[in-house]
Amino acid sequence: MKFHQSVLALAAVALLAGTAVGLAQQQDKNKPLKKYESGTKEFWTHPPDDWFLGDETEAQKGLAPPSGPPTGASDAELANIVKKVKLPSGFKMEVYASGVLAARQMAWGDKGTLFVGSFGLGNVYAIKDKDGKKEVKTILKGLNMPTGLAFKDGALYVIAVDKLIRYDNAEANLDKLGDGKVVYDDMPSYAAHGWKYIAVDKEGWFYIPFGPPFNIGVPPTSVSQIRRVDPKTGNAEIYALGVRNSVGGDVDPRTGKFWFTENARDWISDDKPSDKLNMINKIGEHFGYPYCHQGDLPDDKFAMGHKCSEFTPPVVKLGAHVAPLGMKFYTGDQFPPEYKNNILIAEHGSWNRHKYQGARIVRVIVGPDGKNAKEEVFASGWLEGDQNYLGRPDDIILAKDGSILVADDWAGAIYRISYSKK
Amino acid sequence: MDSSIMRWQFISHAIRAVALLALGALPANAADAAAGKAKAEICAGCHGENGISQTENIPSLAGQPDQFLQWQLVFFRAGSRKNEQMQPIVEEINNEDIRNLGAYFSQLAPPKVQEDKDPDLSKKGAQAAAGRRCASCHTDSYAGTKAVARLAGQREEYLVKALHDYKTNQRVGGAGAAMADVAYSLSEEEITALAHYLAHLQ
Repeated sequence: MKFHQSVLALAAVALLAGTAVGLAQQQDKNKPLKKYESGTKEFWTHPPDDWFLGDETEAQKGLAPPSGPPTGASDAELANIVKKVKLPSGFKMEVYASGVLAARQMAWGDKGTLFVGSFGLGNVYAIKDKDGKKEVKTILKGLNMPTGLAFKDGALYVIAVDKLIRYDNAEANLDKLGDGKVVYDDMPSYAAHGWKYIAVDKEGWFYIPFGPPFNIGVPPTSVSQIRRVDPKTGNAEIYALGVRNSVGGDVDPRTGKFWFTENARDWISDDKPSDKLNMINKIGEHFGYPYCHQGDLPDDKFAMGHKCSEFTPPVVKLGAHVAPLGMKFYTGDQFPPEYKNNILIAEHGSWNRHKYQGARIVRVIVGPDGKNAKEEVFASGWLEGDQNYLGRPDDIILAKDGSILVADDWAGAIYRISYSKK
Repeated sequence: MDSSIMRWQFISHAIRAVALLALGALPANAADAAAGKAKAEICAGCHGENGISQTENIPSLAGQPDQFLQWQLVFFRAGSRKNEQMQPIVEEINNEDIRNLGAYFSQLAPPKVQEDKDPDLSKKGAQAAAGRRCASCHTDSYAGTKAVARLAGQREEYLVKALHDYKTNQRVGGAGAAMADVAYSLSEEEITALAHYLAHLQ
């Protein structure tokens, strides 16, 4: 009901404002650049209050990130999702665990514990087998958006906005992890695009994203970049520049190069700009933000004399407002052989679009050079009608048997997708 | 422009149809407002009869959006929103209780507002609300929606308290921290005016 009322209200706003829209858009062009005093210390603790808004038109007013069911999906709702999700022939989806509220990045412990981070709730979970069922335990509470996790040398690493924390010998201490040890904290403390993930490379260094604290603007120093951090020493290097909000990435098993998804700016229109899949060929590459979007669309206000040809273009344009988050190269043996080294991307789905899209898993078929990528839908059905989410996939991890697990922060659940020949 | 109106009419009809279909097909877990009412007896001591608070610094719950109510209970339970009175209570409630409480309080009639004895202050509040783009999330009527709180008709001194709690980082959680960022730069004058304006909106 609420949903349909609010959309009707929105429609009414659009009708009333119909004539004003064109005018407002014209005036936008004449507005001076939004200016942020990003050189001040205060900026680091308190980003601009309009950080996720932009120069929205009247017709865009009311578009805001939707919020899912606070207690996750019930068993009946999950059964409905499993029924609705469409997969290629031979694939099957089931619920792996429920009650994993706000589930985000997943990481495997060496002894088979599945660790799961969360968004606003501040929880980290451990999922283990108990009497043939999955037991979900909250092992950490009260962290600041602990969305990103990694497991290495027996330790659980959690990244919570401005701290990378290590919990040693984690699987033996699930009931008493303690406060852990902060191994890296050279990051701003604000939540705006401050939630992070961890991707571990072959040398054991972590790729970590640093989003700008606004929709679009001239980024302050030390954000709009991806860093590579050594969790042993806390040493770090800037690995990529000109990155807006990256919420997922993985190391190419073929080349060792880092690939990542990137959420493009909001409030241009329903269909622009496209979100991206990128590859870092060389350290220090610039991916365009805030000057150029989707590889070929200079920003109206923030191009500031730059051309798109100066920047690294995306491997593939994933579509506007699909919100690509967690991604993995498929390195297992269970799926058909043509899936080997394909990229599976969890798309969280839109909020800044009148008709949502995304909320699905896509498959990108591409060689190690990143050229001639092909994209197709792998799993869909979490979105009904224009704005009704049943669930929102946000991360993917491979299981030992070659199946994949998918985290869904809307339904508060983990799914398992497996394949068997007929 | 015409085509956009047509599109909107089409979309709104389509959405209505889909929403009705979805309601009809809703799996059998629909929250139980009657069970919520029974559970809510414990709330009335502070939050008042029928969810309308008579107590200073305690918010009215009547007519708040279902999801907003549920989220606050989940935040209290997770410890990301802290309150001494709420803590022992939320430790005793399960997910089903949370759904039922949300269903119960959201269908109660919101508080009736008092006569506005300082319309000039309300005018200032309305300006501040426009400047801060409060309606972007709280909706034009300030009735709130989904996870976003109803502000219209809330107790004036509670609105002041809530804005202070956000401003001083005492309260976080939800909405990508938007409220903390918005409230940080509010002046005392603006907070007073905003609270007065919103408390007197029906």
